[in-house]
Amino acid sequence: MIPPLAAEVVDWGSLLEVIVVSLVGGVGVTAAFSLAVLGAVRSVDSARERRPVAAGVFGAVAIAALSGCLAAIVYGIAIMVSK
Amino acid sequence: MDSGDAVLVIVVAVALAFDFTNGFHDTANVVATSISTRAVPPRGAVAFAAVLNFVGAFVSLEVAATVAKDVVRADAVTPTIIFAGLIGAIAWNLVTWYYGLPASSSHALIGGVVGAVFAAAGAGAVLGDGLLGKVIVPAIVAPILAFVVAGTAITGAYNIVGRLRPGPTASGFRLGQLASGGVLALAHGTNDAQKTMGVILLALIAHGSIPDAAEPQVPFWVVVSAATAIALGTYSGGWRIIKTMGSRIHKMDSAQGFAAQGAGAVVILAASHSGYPLSTTHVISGGVMGAGAAKRLSAVRWGVAGNIVVAWILTLPAAALIGAATFGLTYLFGAGAAGPLVVTVLIAVLTAAALVRRSRQLSLAGEAEAAAEAPS
Repeated sequence: MIPPLAAEVVDWGSLLEVIVVSLVGGVGVTAAFSLAVLGAVRSVDSARERRPVAAGVFGAVAIAALSGCLAAIVYGIAIMVSK
Repeated sequence: MDSGDAVLVIVVAVALAFDFTNGFHDTANVVATSISTRAVPPRGAVAFAAVLNFVGAFVSLEVAATVAKDVVRADAVTPTIIFAGLIGAIAWNLVTWYYGLPASSSHALIGGVVGAVFAAAGAGAVLGDGLLGKVIVPAIVAPILAFVVAGTAITGAYNIVGRLRPGPTASGFRLGQLASGGVLALAHGTNDAQKTMGVILLALIAHGSIPDAAEPQVPFWVVVSAATAIALGTYSGGWRIIKTMGSRIHKMDSAQGFAAQGAGAVVILAASHSGYPLSTTHVISGGVMGAGAAKRLSAVRWGVAGNIVVAWILTLPAAALIGAATFGLTYLFGAGAAGPLVVTVLIAVLTAAALVRRSRQLSLAGEAEAAAEAPS
């Protein structure tokens, strides 16, 4: 239950936006980077075990996940600069 | 140059000095995680953080607008009031630094300005709605949010990479920390440098140097000077940190470091975009604790968390009281530059005395530690 004064003076929509963006951005970028690490390590391991298809698939996962991370960072900063 | 111009010059100089000390004080928060996981060498981390703090100051001006428009009534402010508020913040920072309390420079700055305005123009000049809605509530939410984001992020990361060989995984996250540490430094510059810009903007409005006081724009020289001051402070603070690094910061793995920095950066950037002037110190601490707690609850220094809460509760009223008292002192000298000059000299002497006394204490403590470790 939000006290009446706080309900009036706090822009809850804006605060909620901060919470959602932080959760999606923080958790999403860390998950995407973890996938990039997973892809890179598995790709190297697969190449060493002479499994070229698996190495290629894992390498593609790593590149896609890393691109996602970079895109998220650039997008976030671009939004801030444009306001 | 009349006395009004002289007071404005003193206010801008003191505001930039505050900005410098803000960077100096916060270097540890920004670079500690990268250094403790050995993601970046200390010298490189400090230089990198200084450059990105500088760049960050140019990213957004929403927080500066909040400080200038939503906390106190701009038409009730004079440069002398802003000066008193700045002194309130600097004096409280000095007290908390001396006693090792993890206080927020941002809360001290806002508290000091509010206290000085309250003393000079009464309660009607303080915008309570803005103070509660734009400062106090976000200040409570942000560190908890960083804690939750970092904890959730590291839990997800461990689920994804948990079965991989630890060596290459750690190397991967160390590389990632180059980016997460950089974005954190950028976020720090964005939020913290803007508070100084907001205070200088208020002083310029009060002096009559800003043509459109209803929709004030931050002059470019203010942005450049605030960016430079925080970057120089960050760089200078780093050398002190490099000397003490290694013993004070608890170890965390590079995945935790990545999650903590990422959480801190995204919360500060999102809040800056909405114009919330946060305590970056508390947000980064929240992220570090969240990343630690997700792995092992006992890894978190709950005593530090308690100190943060105590510092949080004390900072706004204490800085406000000092700001109000400083205004009273300057008032005794009249409306000219004499009051600010006397107070500036007084605070400089007190700062020098505190620095000398503290360095003597640290030196004695170091000698005692060395004597205890020496073979008998």
